[in-house]
Amino acid sequence: MNIRFETLALTTVVIPEGRLDFGAAAGFQRHVEEVLAGAGTAPAAVIIDCNALDYVSSAGLRVFLLATRAAQRAGISFALCALTPAVREVFDLSGFSRIISVHADRATAVAQAPQTPA
Amino acid sequence: MNERRTTVPSDPAQLPALMQFVQEFWSAADLPPAQALTFELALEEVFMNVVMHGAPAGTALRIEVSLRLTDSGLTMSVEDDGPEFNPLSLPPPDISASLGERAVGGQGVFLVRQMMDAVNYQRVGVRNQLTMTKYIIRFSGDRLPA
Repeated sequence: MNIRFETLALTTVVIPEGRLDFGAAAGFQRHVEEVLAGAGTAPAAVIIDCNALDYVSSAGLRVFLLATRAAQRAGISFALCALTPAVREVFDLSGFSRIISVHADRATAVAQAPQTPA
Repeated sequence: MNERRTTVPSDPAQLPALMQFVQEFWSAADLPPAQALTFELALEEVFMNVVMHGAPAGTALRIEVSLRLTDSGLTMSVEDDGPEFNPLSLPPPDISASLGERAVGGQGVFLVRQMMDAVNYQRVGVRNQLTMTKYIIRFSGDRLPA
């Protein structure tokens, strides 16, 4: 899995590409934890843009659950956006789309992200 | 080509080879690619469950996977020679739980049960056998559905 990062003002966008399976989960978790910690200052919002994420298994769901909790503790807004149909199905069947914020596209997620520091 | 089998040790490093096994079956059988993901996911979940919980410490199990295409659907079976364990006996996660209360584990088998049309466990001799089926609805060209 490849992971890209973009920064828009106080928002960090994480873009995982490919498959978030058991083999990729630990590395992805480390990257998300680093983003939540921030370089010097923590971001106000973190958005995971899933438009290029083809596959997620329970190992990946676990990372999203832990990251959502960690963000909540740190007062950082955390959301996913642009889920592909296969990933959306996994989120819906597992009930995770009810406990993790999921937006239709990145523009909606960015519009809802706070504009002041956490 | 209606059935294929492969046998791998219970080692997480085998996961990519198993995904390739599903994908090759799919292209050989000329099935819709999107449906392969359901079987890849189910195989990852069931395989990793055996890898993480099925083998007594310090031992490796043999895991045999088969895919079979019939007129009614696709059946995948995963067999291992570990101690008797029925993954379907695990309680499902409470999907109405809040963020803080939601259990971190136990999602995998639950997802498999949600995605497949039928899931069965059997102890066959010294092996655990989990069989998963997804039905396929086909309409032939000359007989339109009523």
